[in-house]
Amino acid sequence: MLNAQDLHITFNAGTPIENRALQGMSLAIEEGQFVTVIGSNGAGKSTFLNAVSGDLPVDTGRIDIDGVDVTRQPVWTRAHQVARVFQDPMAGTCEDLTIEENMALAQARGTRRGLGRAVKAASREDFRARLATLGLGLENRLGDRIGLLSGGQRQAVSLLMAAIQPSRILLLDEHTAALDPRTADFVLKLTARIVAENRLTTMMVTHSMRQALDVGERTVMLHQGRVVLDVSGPERSAMDVPDLLQMFERVRGEKLSDDALLLG
Amino acid sequence: MFNRLSVRAIVGATAMAALLSGAPALAQEKSVAVTAIVEHPALDAIRDGVQDALKAAGYNAGKNLRWQYQSAQGNPGTAGQIARKFVGDRPDAIVAIATPSAQAVVAATKDVPVVYSGVTDPVAAQLVKGWEASGTNVTGVSDRLALDKQIELIKKIVPQAKRVGIVYNPGEANSVVVVKQLQELLPKAGMTLVEAAAPRSVDVGSAARSLIDKVDVIYTSTDNNVVSAYESLVKVGNDAKVPLIASDTDSVKRGAIAALGVDYRALGVQTGKIVVRILKGEKPGAIPSESSSKVELFVNPGAAQKQGITLSEAVLKSAAQIIK
Amino acid sequence: MSMFSLLGALEIGLIFSLVALGVLISFRLLRFPDLTVDGSFPLGGAVAATLISFGHDPFLATIAATGAGAVAGLLTGWLNVRLRIMDLLASILMMIALYSINLRIMGKPNVPLIMEPTVFSILQPAFLSDYVARPLMLLVVVIVAKLLLDWFLSTQTGLALRATGANPRMSRAQGVNTGRMILGGMALSNALVALAGALFAQTQGGADISMGIGTIVIGLAAVIVGESLLPSRRLFMMTLAVILGAIVYRFFIALALNSDFIGLQAQDLNLVTAVLVTLALVLPNVKRRIFKGRGR
Repeated sequence: MLNAQDLHITFNAGTPIENRALQGMSLAIEEGQFVTVIGSNGAGKSTFLNAVSGDLPVDTGRIDIDGVDVTRQPVWTRAHQVARVFQDPMAGTCEDLTIEENMALAQARGTRRGLGRAVKAASREDFRARLATLGLGLENRLGDRIGLLSGGQRQAVSLLMAAIQPSRILLLDEHTAALDPRTADFVLKLTARIVAENRLTTMMVTHSMRQALDVGERTVMLHQGRVVLDVSGPERSAMDVPDLLQMFERVRGEKLSDDALLLG
Repeated sequence: MFNRLSVRAIVGATAMAALLSGAPALAQEKSVAVTAIVEHPALDAIRDGVQDALKAAGYNAGKNLRWQYQSAQGNPGTAGQIARKFVGDRPDAIVAIATPSAQAVVAATKDVPVVYSGVTDPVAAQLVKGWEASGTNVTGVSDRLALDKQIELIKKIVPQAKRVGIVYNPGEANSVVVVKQLQELLPKAGMTLVEAAAPRSVDVGSAARSLIDKVDVIYTSTDNNVVSAYESLVKVGNDAKVPLIASDTDSVKRGAIAALGVDYRALGVQTGKIVVRILKGEKPGAIPSESSSKVELFVNPGAAQKQGITLSEAVLKSAAQIIK
Repeated sequence: MSMFSLLGALEIGLIFSLVALGVLISFRLLRFPDLTVDGSFPLGGAVAATLISFGHDPFLATIAATGAGAVAGLLTGWLNVRLRIMDLLASILMMIALYSINLRIMGKPNVPLIMEPTVFSILQPAFLSDYVARPLMLLVVVIVAKLLLDWFLSTQTGLALRATGANPRMSRAQGVNTGRMILGGMALSNALVALAGALFAQTQGGADISMGIGTIVIGLAAVIVGESLLPSRRLFMMTLAVILGAIVYRFFIALALNSDFIGLQAQDLNLVTAVLVTLALVLPNVKRRIFKGRGR
């Protein structure tokens, strides 16, 4: 469903601080799949995610969603099909707007915004119902500014916002990294539930190998702007963090050939 | 709730104080309210001249005259509020100095007597329909200079001049009027006009420099920007040997060769005399607008020498004042 | 203070409340510091005055002036969105350009309207004097403008506009074309300011090239004074607050003009205004300190 082909992105090309963030990044994700993406700093995880969402233009390469070439589409046009939860809870919501306004904003994603009321009474009931499933009491605080919520609460709302409109792919950008362990756990469980309920195709970038293996059904490891490891199915279920770590170190230590990776 | 009450109390007390302020004038006391758009030597001189005339007629501020002066500090919104305040005070006459203030006052009242001053073209500013007695509540004194006399002066000082340069602020109504008239009159005298715009006073020097080699003499009007930055003009005139002729006598002291100018204090006195007539009972609508009756020739032989001109004996003899 | 002064403050305050609404949109909602208003206020005055002096209907002239303001705002937005010029810089460029454009439109630095028909002279009812009728008419205009703005900001597009200023990155992720929002918001903001300029010229007796100087300061003062008097995040209150702020600010100036009873002189006007506005800003803090412990 998502097909990224041979993406290249270089920052500050031709200068002493040139950074080849993506060097031939290719990844295909099928409908309904939940993929976790892992890699060391600078491996290109966030760059790839930003390329898919449209925040970063690619130098060469092609991105297809459902067979449609979206490579040149700006973020807001792609938003119709791409839903996103940011790492920073502040960046993912509009602090000065209320909870219901944030959700209304998300609800209108992909539609033509006109002069109809932003928050209709019927929508309000819908928002209340969705918020109630979080069990955080937020359904009674629809009129509160979202800036008053804690980081974890905001990420939870962000997840709801991402799911409120059907989208082709959900991008999660280390969305629990800024939360304390207990809240991170809560948000992760929520993620799993929402993805399952809505049968969302999902790509989750994470720093945590534990998360990468526990969540979803396929794990992809990036290194130097390229995919170096792609595990799914029984092989993946059999793996544990030390195994992944071993692979991780091997990749970082030496430059491996593709065959060695698949066998290793 | 307490908070709201206290806010209301403060607001209420302020409003009371405001309404109670501003004592009404005594029965036999006359009151004159004066406003100018901005504080400026020429405009201040007019105001002082008005006070001179009132004093000479026996009206003294604080004794039998309530005198108030407000400057709009260059702000048109404030000029409008001043106009309305004055109208509300119902003085016996309002003196409005300079076009924006005069327009604001005239727009604010149709019955309180208004005497404008320091407006070059009151007809173009729609203060009055024509130069004759207006029949409305408006009259005043214009500071327009008879430009034919100015052109005569230019010819006397620089007889061979063919190209006359002018530095002016295209945003000042009075200056634009002068430029337009010069554009029509100079060709009849066999000369052409070369313009240089100085939208801010800091632009005066560079505008003058742009005229070097293009003109035989630089003439300037009573433009506010030019008058405030006249020294930069003098530098150009002295360095490039371009003769400078001004329209206000003060600039001659600062380095112009000559000026046939309005004495703004005298203009103020002329205005004040009209105010006195109104205080004594004349209707402003019966008094025709006047233009400055007193122009004086000031010359500066030292500046003339620096700018490469020798002044003729005839000119020196006709001068009201020779600056050493 | 006479009734004249009071009504005069109200009248000019209502005109500048339109400016304050415009500044609310650009400065607060879009987070776009917009100095274009120093140029679009006189633009409105210039277009209206020039058209009226050529014999056109004052209502059409006022509408044309509003449209001209919208175009000015669009240009500023375009400089920022398409040419990627920094917002403040783009607005300064437009402000500078508008000085010459306004002079061109007027043909001279001052276009008088004292002897011309205005929207006020046409609508003037015979039983009211003009200094009462004008504030009343302006009150109607401001109320209509406020209600329309409140309605617009509560629509989906209005929400998208507010989101654009609050968090442009997230808005884009929600499908908002932030560039278009900025263009539209700037057009709306400057249209309001130009409308104010057109009405101002018609009450002041004419349009003058210098009438725009300091407009942004007045607009910001109105917004800030309003927010300290009526702090609230609700849209209905925010628009009300800046309208009140503009009127109170002009009221303070009228107060300063009438303070000769404390021995103040004309030169002190700006200082007195500054002191009074400072008092307005400090008031919320003083309230808070006096009522400490009572909660917000």
